Amino acid sequence: MRSVYKVLAALIAIEVAIQAAVMVYAIAGLGLYIEGGGVLDAAAVESGETLFPELIGLILHGLNGMFVIPALALVLLIVSFFAKVPGGVRMAAVVLGLVVLQVLLGMFLHGMSWLGLLHGLNALALFGTAVVAARRVPRADVPVEQRTRQSALT
Amino acid sequence: MTRRRTVVAVAATVGVLAAPTWLWQASLLPSSYAATDMGYVDDGRAAPGSGSGSGSGSAPPGAVHDHTAPGGGSRSVEQLTAPADRSADVTVELVVREETITLADGTSVEGYTVNGASPGPVIRAREGDLVEARLVNESVPDGATLHWHGIDVPNAADGVAGVTQDAVPPGGTFTYRFVADRPGTYWYHAHQMSHEQVRRGLLGALVVEPAAPSAQPADDVVALVHLYDGVRTVNGSPGDTHVDAAPGADVRVRVINSDNASVQVWVDGAPFRLTAIDGTDVHEPGLVEGRSVEVTAGGRADLVVTTPADGSGARVELGGTAAVVLGPPGAAPPAARPPRDRVDPLSYGTPAPLGFDPAAATRTFEYRVGRRPGFLDGRPGMWWTVNGHLYPDVPMFMVTEGDVVRVAISNGTGAVHPMHLHGHHAVVLSRDGVAATGSPWVVDSLDVGVGESYEIAFVADNPGIWMDHCHNLPHAAEGLVAHLMYEGVTTPFRLGGDNRPE
Repeated sequence: MRSVYKVLAALIAIEVAIQAAVMVYAIAGLGLYIEGGGVLDAAAVESGETLFPELIGLILHGLNGMFVIPALALVLLIVSFFAKVPGGVRMAAVVLGLVVLQVLLGMFLHGMSWLGLLHGLNALALFGTAVVAARRVPRADVPVEQRTRQSALT
Repeated sequence: MTRRRTVVAVAATVGVLAAPTWLWQASLLPSSYAATDMGYVDDGRAAPGSGSGSGSGSAPPGAVHDHTAPGGGSRSVEQLTAPADRSADVTVELVVREETITLADGTSVEGYTVNGASPGPVIRAREGDLVEARLVNESVPDGATLHWHGIDVPNAADGVAGVTQDAVPPGGTFTYRFVADRPGTYWYHAHQMSHEQVRRGLLGALVVEPAAPSAQPADDVVALVHLYDGVRTVNGSPGDTHVDAAPGADVRVRVINSDNASVQVWVDGAPFRLTAIDGTDVHEPGLVEGRSVEVTAGGRADLVVTTPADGSGARVELGGTAAVVLGPPGAAPPAARPPRDRVDPLSYGTPAPLGFDPAAATRTFEYRVGRRPGFLDGRPGMWWTVNGHLYPDVPMFMVTEGDVVRVAISNGTGAVHPMHLHGHHAVVLSRDGVAATGSPWVVDSLDVGVGESYEIAFVADNPGIWMDHCHNLPHAAEGLVAHLMYEGVTTPFRLGGDNRPE
């Protein structure tokens, strides 16, 4: 259970890094599209068409952010109830809280662009918290007996 | 100790999962259901003023069953038709197919056609004509219907699958009959799987000319704007479309926005007047220069352009990626930068009588668009809400014929919502608390921007069950749909199963 906790927390951190990466990829693609003479207006944005290939970055950002990461955070919290990681429940709860905050910021920044600044900063906080949560799982210093049990579980 | 810990952990897990599981289960839709059974009744009789709206007249879901009028007797939507004994003035057969669309430049797009083309034929009628359109579904696999966007048709001809008819299966037919009683620019489109069928071309233009032909310029151009696979077209042609016009001529350009979000329209090389919005004439429209007109998704704007006397021509820019070029053959007016300023219909033109008194409203509703996480028919996601409720637990706005209705529409989401009320035209009273000062701004499709609020009013003069939804059609599929319902009207048709109007 402890390694499940560790893996989930690490996965969340990796997912946050992916979120940053695909977003910049999409913005770079948007820049190329416009430089190449592409025109975007509301109707084109809402047409559901893939106007430039890097648009996939935005779609992935949305799917990851609204479904995959919240699901991982929820599972992490549930796992934390069983994993007996010191302070593990609290860390998982903080991760989930930051994920919820991040989703809300992501939703509302469409109306208030300055929230985008917080969305970017909160991503760093979430990343850091997830890394700390993953590192809370003791590794080398666990007693041999417990390590055996742990590996048997995984 | 370990056992106790496990019990606590299991209990905590159940606690964490209970709410989402219950919400998921509660969101599942029955295999089919009547529009009249949806949500809760909002009778609009609550004390006027916003803030009281969300729960007003709340009843448990499914409690809306008996809509018999106080005097007894109920009418089915099927009975709400144009006069059966009147013969048709305009008869048209519209055959819809799933096939490859060939655009004017030779590009092929997989989609749907009407009489072999997309957009379908322009239907032209004269004010007062009875139009009879026979829909033949040759090969649209999901079934098809036709909605007459902007025409206040009798309810039986509204074309909403599952509300006013069943979707017409391949091999089936359906006849629409209505009186085209208001001159103006309109369009028709699928209202079965509309978020997919409209995007892929099941649509066309409909023009109602005034009874007195002299009332408008002789030069009359339809400019139906549509994106096929992300390529903007005018009447199916990408890029520039040339229309012959003599120097100094007045040309009426009927812009129809069939896409899911607004399009900016401006004219290079000539001033213009915005003479009609959504099929209603603007009263004393002023000359416009250096400003653009925002055409709402689903909305229409008629521009009268006077071509330059020197024969240099004018460009009617449609979003900057397609244009109608007006002028003598060979005229190539240069494209200019898009204007920053827009015509604001709230203050454009001059006031005129509305024909009714919005202050004497007998029903007052709130239509508050929001967004929150939840489940829609078991699917998790961020879904639109109406007055805080997720589809299908949305308000059913109840009215009686003759009511004067006021609706406060507000948008608390991060997306624009082009709201479309079927079967009626509403006048805009105010935006963000600022009262309208121009010509009566009468709409059937109204863009409600992020954080904006509008107050609109209309007379309930067309009995039926009418969709009131977002015309960014994927948003409708994501639950941004409510209905306006007249007391005593019932429907034998059911949503779900083969009927998916969104």
